[in-house]
Amino acid sequence: MASDKQCVAMLLAGGQGTRLGVLTKEVAKPAVPFGGKYRIIDFTLSNTINSDIDTIGVLTQYQPFELNQYIGNGQPWDFDRLDGGAFVLPPYQTAKSGEWYKGTANAIYQNINFADRYNPEYVLILSGDHIYKMDYSKMLNSHIKNGADCTIAVLDVPIEQASRFGIMSADSNNRITEFEEKPKHPKSTKASMGIYIFTWAKLKEYLIKDEADKNSYNDFGKNIIPNMLRDGQKMYTYDFVGYWKDVGTISSLWEANMDLLDPQSGINLSDRRWIIYARNAAEPPHYVGANAKLFNSVVSEGGEIDGDIRNSIVSTGVVVEKGAVIKDSVLMPNCVIRKGAVVSHAIVGWNAEVGENCIIGEEQKGPINGEWKIAVVGPNVSIKKGDKVAAGEMIGAEGGK
Amino acid sequence: MNTKMMAILFASGNENKFNDLTIHRTTTSMPFAGRYRLVDFALSSFVNSGATRIGIITRNNYSSLMDHIRMGRDWDLNRKNSGIAVFPPFGLNTSKEMYKGKIEALHTILDFIEKAPEDYVILSNGNTAANIDYTKVLEKHIESGADLTILCHKAQCVNSSKRVIVGRDKKGFVNDLYSVEIPSQDLKLVSLGVYVVAKSILLEWVQQAYARGFVDFETDILFKEVKNGKLLAYEITEFAAIIDDVKTYYAESMKVLDYNIREQLFGGKNKIFTKVKDSVPTIYGDKAVVVNSLIADGCTINGTVINSILFRNVKVEDGVVIRDSIVMEDGTIMENSQLSHVITDKRVTVQSGRELKGLQTYPIVVVKNKVV
Repeated sequence: MASDKQCVAMLLAGGQGTRLGVLTKEVAKPAVPFGGKYRIIDFTLSNTINSDIDTIGVLTQYQPFELNQYIGNGQPWDFDRLDGGAFVLPPYQTAKSGEWYKGTANAIYQNINFADRYNPEYVLILSGDHIYKMDYSKMLNSHIKNGADCTIAVLDVPIEQASRFGIMSADSNNRITEFEEKPKHPKSTKASMGIYIFTWAKLKEYLIKDEADKNSYNDFGKNIIPNMLRDGQKMYTYDFVGYWKDVGTISSLWEANMDLLDPQSGINLSDRRWIIYARNAAEPPHYVGANAKLFNSVVSEGGEIDGDIRNSIVSTGVVVEKGAVIKDSVLMPNCVIRKGAVVSHAIVGWNAEVGENCIIGEEQKGPINGEWKIAVVGPNVSIKKGDKVAAGEMIGAEGGK
Repeated sequence: MNTKMMAILFASGNENKFNDLTIHRTTTSMPFAGRYRLVDFALSSFVNSGATRIGIITRNNYSSLMDHIRMGRDWDLNRKNSGIAVFPPFGLNTSKEMYKGKIEALHTILDFIEKAPEDYVILSNGNTAANIDYTKVLEKHIESGADLTILCHKAQCVNSSKRVIVGRDKKGFVNDLYSVEIPSQDLKLVSLGVYVVAKSILLEWVQQAYARGFVDFETDILFKEVKNGKLLAYEITEFAAIIDDVKTYYAESMKVLDYNIREQLFGGKNKIFTKVKDSVPTIYGDKAVVVNSLIADGCTINGTVINSILFRNVKVEDGVVIRDSIVMEDGTIMENSQLSHVITDKRVTVQSGRELKGLQTYPIVVVKNKVV
């Protein structure tokens, strides 16, 4: 028998992440490497444990193996608990039914029993594809203080970007008056971050109603939130101030990595009061050779670096040979860059190999319509000696572009 | 008999020869190769070879070792069965003194060894850095019919520490064992102080020797066993370092800058595990110049680092030049300082504009927590 928990977290990690192309062909988006030694999901998992929430269900569906193995018993994030901890929750069969997660709300609906084991007062709903540091316990306090049924974390975004988000209008007490999903003419700049706290009894009621509605998309943004608002439930916004980035596209994933190199970006991973944990690779320190040049870059363990590296992220176990030039790029774990290759504004996937004198990507002056043209070499791909990958081009394992 | 192994690690020895580096720690917990402690090599080799019941015998200054190992989780040793047992200094009821040698130490834990279900025992000094596959050693040991197998390697005895030299016949059996204290440049077959032995034989030897008041495992047991011709020499051809004073510490550390040595220690499928500290990757600034160096996670580098080893979370500020040096965890080297042939212990701060210069044969050691 599990003991009661005040708050249980549910992390939606089932999305395919199609916009990341070859990077999410064989792993779910939350398992994509980030920042040299992390995976995207490390941020949400670390935020949860750092917020003193010790029970989390990770809802997986698409390519779950890598994520299952990565999370394991949750020990790297201190989630290996006698009571509570981290649980990977794939869809499962029951006597009555058994189906894939149809939408975000349906995923939680199918795991009502999981949350009920801990008899929580509140449930925190998270998504596994954002880079940010956030203390959810402050949001929970605000939820409790307001006596809310639902609290939605919001970020103030520039008005010109507002139509890409779910936008909240709220009164002076932060009580939500209106919610619009990706509005053409946004009335506010408070964008939903996809982080919700619900009073569990209330959410359960709405999940059950929503499931009965055959026309529903079973989605929080499209159904649950609008339905609760229509019924006059007490819904509040919680203002988050700080670095937050959705890494759903190649361009934004690259940008978020580059933000680690910019002290002004606001994402500071060195703060020992808010450690971002990751599963450790058991690699020795990295070695910097006689021909290496390193300029404004981040390098993780296990690498053998003998090339010229500028404004780049070099992950665990990467080899960069003599004469290779890496500029404004992300080298994911265990990739190899051979002699004389030039990599610029690119992402090189894990275990990929870039042959001698290859040219990967091109120098970019800036984004076009908000998007950078980043060249991507997929995981496990070998680029033959002397080959070229153009800016914005993506190479997958079957040689498909 | 089964072919399972347990391991006993002796965590102390030669602490007086480290110029203050071992004031706060045992030799076994000496930091090595940028992110490890010496004990990591022994523990990882045991675990990778399936020896997961490990007794660690300590004598003094063992709190840093305990802090490093904790429950052994980082080596996958927090098991329901087996795992790590740390034996703090054991004073016999009958005497007021702590144990004097390995025989007495082993005698105090006879129960632990006897009760273990494994039929073979690895005995190891904690002062060796090597990635050893004991399953191969045990195979050879059993095949040869030896009573005990001594692991050894070819090396020079460049310092005055007591090394044991092994002589062997054509079949690999030991026909001579003696200790030297005179430094020499010649390559000799040197014992690593690591043994594989059947439990039943070990128990008998220790009981017999203890009953006769003997103290030293090497001189009182092994040297006398040579004449029975059942000690096997097993030569390790990959990198193995015995670290027993500052000079060997410095020399063996610097060897890890060689690619081949790193491959032998870390390149295979058997990984070396250590305590996980969740440091961020290292950040190189606009003014970093780094050549032929080993750099651990969590460093911030804005100066020049040549032929050196930086442990975790070291800060190298503008204008600093570090050459042929070892900077341990949490070191801060402030603006325009110059270090050459220096070993700084954990949490050392070198203030702006300081110049520290040691010699290849006599590196300067800066004690833990000091500000220069």
